[in-house]
Amino acid sequence: MRSDRESRAPLGLKLAAAGGLLFLHVPILLIFVYAFTTEDRSYQWPPPGLTAKWLSVTWNRPDVWEALGLSVRVAAISTVIAIVLGTLCAAAVSRTRFFGREAVSLLVILPIALPGIITGIALRSAFSLADIPFSFWTIVLGHATFCVVVVYNNAVARFRRTSGSLIEASMDLGADGFQTFRHVVLPNIATALLAGGMLAFALSFDEVIVTTFTAGQQATLPIWMLEELVRPRQRPVTNVVAMVVVLVTFLPILAAYYLTRDGDRIAGAGK
Amino acid sequence: MRTAVAFSNVSRHFGAVRAVDGVDLEIAEGEFFAMLGPSGSGKTTCLRLIAGFEQPTSGHIEIFGETAEGVPPYRRSVNTVFQDYALFPHLSVADNVAYGPMIRGVAKAERLKAAEEALALVRLPGFGHRRPSQLSGGQRQRVALARALINKPKVLLLDEPLGALDLKLREHMQDELKVLQRTLGITFVFVTHDQGEALSMADRVAVFNHGRIVQIGSPEDIYQRPRTRFVADFVGSSNILPPDYTKAFGGGANWASLRPEAMRIVATEGAAMTGKITGLRYLGAGTRVTVETGVVPPTDERGAPLHEMAPLLVVQVPAGQPVPAEGELVGLVCAPADLHAMAER
Repeated sequence: MRSDRESRAPLGLKLAAAGGLLFLHVPILLIFVYAFTTEDRSYQWPPPGLTAKWLSVTWNRPDVWEALGLSVRVAAISTVIAIVLGTLCAAAVSRTRFFGREAVSLLVILPIALPGIITGIALRSAFSLADIPFSFWTIVLGHATFCVVVVYNNAVARFRRTSGSLIEASMDLGADGFQTFRHVVLPNIATALLAGGMLAFALSFDEVIVTTFTAGQQATLPIWMLEELVRPRQRPVTNVVAMVVVLVTFLPILAAYYLTRDGDRIAGAGK
Repeated sequence: MRTAVAFSNVSRHFGAVRAVDGVDLEIAEGEFFAMLGPSGSGKTTCLRLIAGFEQPTSGHIEIFGETAEGVPPYRRSVNTVFQDYALFPHLSVADNVAYGPMIRGVAKAERLKAAEEALALVRLPGFGHRRPSQLSGGQRQRVALARALINKPKVLLLDEPLGALDLKLREHMQDELKVLQRTLGITFVFVTHDQGEALSMADRVAVFNHGRIVQIGSPEDIYQRPRTRFVADFVGSSNILPPDYTKAFGGGANWASLRPEAMRIVATEGAAMTGKITGLRYLGAGTRVTVETGVVPPTDERGAPLHEMAPLLVVQVPAGQPVPAEGELVGLVCAPADLHAMAER
């Protein structure tokens, strides 16, 4: 009984927690509500009426599909690049010792600490210096810079928790380097890579700043939304798209959270 | 008898550190061989040189007559039981044990049957479906053993195999390993810092210090006739006598080792050495008596004490004989034949 009473939080703390949560999530709910309003020129509260017609309007807008397709392709390719480079880099940093190892580790993480605008300007000047025309691939390169970091961070943490003697044990039992990678290394880092990949995908999917500097004529979904806001035509369409973006980015992050949560057990270090 | 592993003048240096420094070694086929030494003495590096995880800086290694340099670990007929067992956490116990056959391309049904047999050999039948994380330390160790033995290695390497187990389990596994080695006839090479383990299990023991082998011989040799002060000290349980003490007991002017059971407690008059009893430890088969000899320190011609710290001597009084009381002044004698001369280093 006593512990029951003690484990209950005081009222003030409860209110503060509820306030914090409301502050974070009510604006997002507002976006959802506006997706169903009958007023299509301005955001009017309360909505004069509710309708589901914007779902079908959005569905029939080719520019939405174009932007969505571009965003998915950019995010997918950036993620693949990030998984390959991030894993290799994590393996090098955690498995070997070499001069400048700590510096490399820091330099890989730097892009995510830098403001996106600086990454954007830097990439833009580098691309124009090298005479690379802005295209789909320049967007992908821009996104890969910060996607690599996410995968690297996940992979390096997993490598650190995986006992090095597992690789030696595999070699000892007759497996060459490739077989060891396939049967021991990959299964042990797979969930970390999946989680890192999902986070990278989500990051790329809603990226605006770096994209504005590295895109040519193409508009990814977030850029398209930004452009829609200044054009007061069928406003709720933007809100419907926003709902989709929330779902597309939220689900992978949720999945990544569950994937890495159970990985806290230290692989191979138990006795 | 064939030679299983031969080292000739093998060195392994890491930068300025001479982890292994000019080691010569021959391990016979079917032998249970122990590498004993303090941590950092080079014994584990020697094991890794046999496994192929390290390459010698200089010297030559042969495994069953074949040159080992440049042969990667996965092409040596040598398997290792790792200190932390290194079981694959993502595989079941059966898949762990069947890993070697799986890599060699043995069909699934066949290799799982072999795994079950190997698990039965280490007395873990029916544990195949479990995960390594569901096993106790002792069980994991047996799985690691089964995973190595299923490959029928010519040499089995064990790196501090019992280090992580509690005392009772460790003693039990000592017997079991010994029986297993006799039954299978495989050459076992094991590394340990526990002299009791090395002496009780091995056919031969190599004592390592600073990357070199200080002494190599049967457990009896190492225990009764340590060649240097370091060996006597590390193997323990023998008294180490400085030259003047050896002389006082009737030997030559050299360092000597003297087993506790070789000394007798007598009256102070006419004894080779006198001292005060500072400790008694009842052991069942006898009583260990610690004698502080510094009470009447040996002096040189001018009367100055020869030793700053007079050695403590340990005497074993067999059960049934009178044991003096603590604080009593006693005399000590021994038969000069029991003094075993050894080098200072």
